Amino acid sequence: MAAEVLPLAQLKLPSGPSPVTSEQRYWRSFKNQKSHTSTASWPISHISFPAATGATLSNSLVAATKLNDLFAVTSGPRVDIFSIRKRELLKTIGRFDGEAHCGEIRADGRVLVAGEDSGRMQVFDVGGGTRAVILKTWHIHKQPVWVTKWSPTELTTLMSASDDKTVRLWDLPSNNPSRVFTGHSDYVRCGAFMPGLNSNLLVSGSYDETVRVWDARAPGGAVMTFKHADPVEEVLPLASGTTLLAAAGSAISVLDLVAAKPLRLITNHQKTVTSLSLASNGRRVVSGSLDGHVKVFETADWNVVAASKYPSPILSLSVVAAGAAQEDRHLAVGMQSGVLSLRTRLAGAAAEKARDRAAVEAARDVGTETLEKLDAQKAKRKRAAVTNKAMDLLGEGVDVIIPTDAPGGRSRRVKLRPWQRNFRQGRYTAALDDVVDMSSPEYQPVTALTLLVALRHRSALREALEGRDENTVLPLLRWTSKYIADPRYLSVCVDMGFHLLDLYSEHVGGSAELAVQFQQLLGKVSKEVEKAQMAIQTNGMVESLMFGVV
Amino acid sequence: MDVNGDTASLKRKREPKDDTPSSLKKHRRRSKLPEDSGAGESASAQDDQQPSNSALQQINGGLEPPDASSQPPDGAARERLASWKVSKPMGGRMLDIDPIFSSDERYLIVTYNTSIQVYSTEDSLLVRRIALPVTRTDDATELVATHIVSAVLSKCDTDYLWVACSDGRIWHINWTSGAGAGNPFRIEAKKVLDVAVDVMEIGGQSDDVLLVLKRLTKSSAQIVAYNVKALSTKSGKLLHTYDESPQLLRSAAEGRLIVAAAKETVHIGLLKVRKLSSLDDLAYRFHCFNVPDLVTSLDIRHTLRAAKKGGFDLQSVDLAVGCARGAIYVYHDLLPKLPGEACGPSRAGLIQPKKYHWHRRAAHAVKWSQDGNYLISGGCETVLVLWQVETGRLDFLPHLSAAIENIVVSPRGASYAVHLDDNSTMILSTAEMRPTMYVSGIQSLVLGDRPSKESLVRRVWRPVEEIVAPLVAAANPRNPSQMVLCVGNGQQASLGGGSTSTPFLQVFDVASFHGITKHAIARTNPTDANVTSDGVPIVEPTVTKLSFSQDGKWLASVDEWQPPERDADALLTGSKTSAEVCRERREIYLKFWEVGAEDQSFQLVTRVNDAHHTGRTETILDLASDPTSSRFATIGNDGMVRFWSPRLRKRDGLAATGPDGQPLRSWTCSRTVSLPTHEQQDDPVDIPTENTARSGAITFSEDGSVLFAAFGPPSAADVVAIDTETGTIRDVVSGMFKGEIRAIRSLSSSLVMLSEDLVVYDIVSDEVLYNYSLKETSEDAKHLTQLAVNYESRSVALVAPVPNLNQGKMKRGARSELVVLNIEEDEPQLVQTFSHLITSVCAAPLSSGFIVVDSAAQILSITEGAEQAPLLQPLADLGVDGSDASGREALLLEGDASDEEMEDADQDVEMEHDDDTHAAVVAPQRLAEVFSAAPAFAMPPIEDIFYQVAGLFSTKPAKA
Repeated sequence: MAAEVLPLAQLKLPSGPSPVTSEQRYWRSFKNQKSHTSTASWPISHISFPAATGATLSNSLVAATKLNDLFAVTSGPRVDIFSIRKRELLKTIGRFDGEAHCGEIRADGRVLVAGEDSGRMQVFDVGGGTRAVILKTWHIHKQPVWVTKWSPTELTTLMSASDDKTVRLWDLPSNNPSRVFTGHSDYVRCGAFMPGLNSNLLVSGSYDETVRVWDARAPGGAVMTFKHADPVEEVLPLASGTTLLAAAGSAISVLDLVAAKPLRLITNHQKTVTSLSLASNGRRVVSGSLDGHVKVFETADWNVVAASKYPSPILSLSVVAAGAAQEDRHLAVGMQSGVLSLRTRLAGAAAEKARDRAAVEAARDVGTETLEKLDAQKAKRKRAAVTNKAMDLLGEGVDVIIPTDAPGGRSRRVKLRPWQRNFRQGRYTAALDDVVDMSSPEYQPVTALTLLVALRHRSALREALEGRDENTVLPLLRWTSKYIADPRYLSVCVDMGFHLLDLYSEHVGGSAELAVQFQQLLGKVSKEVEKAQMAIQTNGMVESLMFGVV
Repeated sequence: MDVNGDTASLKRKREPKDDTPSSLKKHRRRSKLPEDSGAGESASAQDDQQPSNSALQQINGGLEPPDASSQPPDGAARERLASWKVSKPMGGRMLDIDPIFSSDERYLIVTYNTSIQVYSTEDSLLVRRIALPVTRTDDATELVATHIVSAVLSKCDTDYLWVACSDGRIWHINWTSGAGAGNPFRIEAKKVLDVAVDVMEIGGQSDDVLLVLKRLTKSSAQIVAYNVKALSTKSGKLLHTYDESPQLLRSAAEGRLIVAAAKETVHIGLLKVRKLSSLDDLAYRFHCFNVPDLVTSLDIRHTLRAAKKGGFDLQSVDLAVGCARGAIYVYHDLLPKLPGEACGPSRAGLIQPKKYHWHRRAAHAVKWSQDGNYLISGGCETVLVLWQVETGRLDFLPHLSAAIENIVVSPRGASYAVHLDDNSTMILSTAEMRPTMYVSGIQSLVLGDRPSKESLVRRVWRPVEEIVAPLVAAANPRNPSQMVLCVGNGQQASLGGGSTSTPFLQVFDVASFHGITKHAIARTNPTDANVTSDGVPIVEPTVTKLSFSQDGKWLASVDEWQPPERDADALLTGSKTSAEVCRERREIYLKFWEVGAEDQSFQLVTRVNDAHHTGRTETILDLASDPTSSRFATIGNDGMVRFWSPRLRKRDGLAATGPDGQPLRSWTCSRTVSLPTHEQQDDPVDIPTENTARSGAITFSEDGSVLFAAFGPPSAADVVAIDTETGTIRDVVSGMFKGEIRAIRSLSSSLVMLSEDLVVYDIVSDEVLYNYSLKETSEDAKHLTQLAVNYESRSVALVAPVPNLNQGKMKRGARSELVVLNIEEDEPQLVQTFSHLITSVCAAPLSSGFIVVDSAAQILSITEGAEQAPLLQPLADLGVDGSDASGREALLLEGDASDEEMEDADQDVEMEHDDDTHAAVVAPQRLAEVFSAAPAFAMPPIEDIFYQVAGLFSTKPAKA
């Protein structure tokens, strides 16, 4: 019934392109870069971390998180094993004859498989000691093995792909491959198991510019083939199990396995795309390319939502997820220069702690008063928490809790700021002085604009500008000359300029500062006029061109 | 309508006739005009010969009050005309007269400008509407400006009501049955100003005595007393004559005291004689004294004491006087301060009152609380002020929706009835100051009967006294009983400051006849003082266009605001006039609202700042909605047509979703079509400059495939047909408009165009089917000429003010005429003159009729055939009025109580009250929905129908 007194609504200006989107903010929150240069600056060719498995491998959660704490980085003839939590190198496996490829840790975090240039494939024990124990060796491939990957569902199954144009399926105990897929006519450089229940489907991409899908159950060759324009460098099945990404040259193609047709071609990179990774629980895809760019795509329309640039061509990248919710933890990017860049996003308690620390630092910089204020705030919050806890305990013994607010009663009244109260009560001069004070910590140009427009609506602009002395006119003039160039503020600034000139031009002779400010305003306006003239000239030229066309 | 089809506002042009095609003023660019216009000719020739004299009499004779006239005229035209009928008007404007509580507080009687309406205080439902033929037409053209001046409950029989009209008619109405509205008493008076009623014992018999304040000359008046007998013989007893221009008359204590206020004086009359044998014995001793300011309202509080000789005497009289400059003066215990009996009629001079001043402007209403410890006052500050009389302490109920007009304390003192300026009345309980009953009528602007109390003092501004623009209204296609109207913050607030401001959207349910909600769709300042420091009212934006999308899910609105010219002095440069300066600073917004499914909420989705602009913001001339899809089109003064359509809102390429995961949409301009400039531009004289007033209108064709846009300077406007798919211009027709374009509508293959002519043009066969020319009227009247099209009945409704040579402005007394035409037939289906100005007409959705809103805030429904008007029927008319039954029960119970079981009876009464809900109000169309859901052979089982009907009539249990 009786209307509530609300503060003046802030003016909504036409929305321009948002300078920072929420997505960009998210990807920028991967901070605290830690660079790790590999021995002899070997290029980082592969980064992987064990995928979270649906099946519980261990009973205790602690063990599970511990198991998931590792990720493997392959560079030159080495595979380095890092800790996710500590971001530290734990162990280096160097028992390779040539260059190592595709070091992959199994989902249970116990063993690691890697191929090498000689065509040999080795399985290492990850745990225990600094020295890696070789558990199994196959030397069936006669050409370099580029892909070795564990099956996401069965612990003993793995696949390999090699320059000998074959893709093989292995069983850990046996010495010979359980299945050999032939059909590629050139080096096979990438491959993957399909996720989920389709894990007996394999995908491989080759330098013969095709992506082939193999079925372990079906005899014979590929069940599906996609031809590309360039050698395929990387394939990445999405979590849905029906969509596949393939990086061929500088383009990424989105392939639909159900409809058996390409959905889209993403051409945002300038050079060959070398690696792809899922992020944000499969809702984003991150790509790295030789042009040094990392781009983040959303998976609905494949628009770029964030991007960043690295100093060297990117060979491998991975968004390392950890924790129960599989949140993005690190953005690991391996480069040609041999630098592994690790950027980390803090989550939960860690993030809060970091924020607190930053606040304290900032307060300390400002002065002791602010620090004390911050402490008082903290103490208050703590007390409130204690009281709440006590109330919660009390609530257990009580049948009915009666809220202090009346049912359906109004919520707490919005408190008006001083300038809002001044405005409401008709003290327009005071309100205007408040909002144009550019040194105030609460100063926002849009607040000033809101008030000025409201004054115009109430026919009170002149009243607010009238009757001032030199000290109170100068901030207004300064504000006007600052914002008169902004088209959104232009109309109000022009009105203000007119009024100020009308009211105070007679005093210019008496005050040097006033004269200077008016001079500045004039300068600003003449500059804008110049710009407008140039724009009109350009318009005239374009129009005369268009006239001939139409 | 004579032989040429003339009506009061239309003049039938004999066209198309055997003129040459050139005289038809049709110039097609691409297609040649076919030579045969024979069909139209013969048709018009035929109807020219049709006599319809009786209809003429109906319209021009005006023998009956048009308010009540809905019966079809007889004669040759009956069969056809009978198919359309005009419903009884509903609603109206609450007058500045105290609402009346019935003695048991179960009903509230509110006086409207054309009726008395009885509402139940329990559930705010309309129980009875007693229409009063207030406006009479004395002859065909001259209207006597009559209005109700007073409505008072009879003191000796509380079922009766005395209602006085300014021309001397006095009705004695039984408000429980509605009887007595037909035959008023009539007293001789130039003008009745106010009436007070009190019960007196005359010849041993208590009888109502009416004290009538009559105007004699401009500045003198007399008080005359009547009883029922005297009313029938028209011979009253003159009590007092006085010279100041009087306004108010109140009586108290069974006629022992009369208080009359006149400008700055108050006259008090004390009853001289104790025993009355006849009315002629009645005599008063009058005193008068000055009040420091103009009186706007007064209230008397008296106490009686037992006189020595038996009977009662006045013990003390407290008088509270509200004044025009905001002060309230209280005279405590007035009687001893008056000069003694010996002095005779005398002037007491100035009696020193106690002054209470909080109101900024006039105190519109002042009332004593029941116990006399508090004063309750209200005014245009929209604040209900409670004064503790002893201490002067203030208590507020701030920020009501509009200025307070009247306050009434209920007989038991437990609640206040507050009448607000936005045509609403509420009952507030005194305990918690929450409304227990709320009645809200249409809040559109009306032509007032009496000047507001504000106008007693000279202001720096003058209120607007005319209606210059039609009421912007639309019917909701999703909910056919709902209308949305653009209204202001009360009548006075919207009329101040030289132009109307209508920033609110009132959602009004026509079927249940009450306002549902009011949304601000433009900037408002409900909690701020709406005056500048100079005392000029602040003008809020005016909504100029409103349109629902075809599915009712979206609403588009256009609002305009420009700074007042008085602010422009400092901004003048060069040769600019202040009007130009203000036009440059005009704010015109096109807004798109999402209409909530159930709760009728409107959520702003998109605001477009400069939908049409050249160097500056340009007026949006018209807004049209696509009848087949969610799409709007606008035409602006920049000569552009823009199409607006919704699209998924995206953020960073991702679809933005709302809190419930529903996709959000925003509206964007999907296509822009530049209209061709005028053909004769090479003519050097006729180059349209910046300042040429151009007008435009648009409409979609019925299938949404073509948009017809009319645009251009007066008398040189073209109609352009635009393909809505491709945006290409398909056809240009010129020379269809004479004068400013008012409206264009499309109906099947015809275009209905309204300017100074009404032209119906077949776009396929390329011929003019009709050509009516409107009679010469003033510029203002042209603005109120409106057009509506109903697709279902293929009919067109045209509304035009009746030309009045004496009065160019649309002030009080202006009348309107409605003409309904069927597109297939030449002859008008219905021609009717209304005694009020029609401010809005729109097609009723899902029905074949139209809904009309007039300047008395009434709604009328115009329906075809047997169709039921979607308007509310009062409970009494529906036969579910609880008053009769419960009244009888109450009587019975009283009888019981006198027998023995007093206590039990009381309990019974209590219980009776508890569950006495007005058992289900079922609109007839609901029943029709049940029974005519399917043809008889395909009806659902009888059991289902029974449950459906039972469901309609059974009330839902009250929520715990």
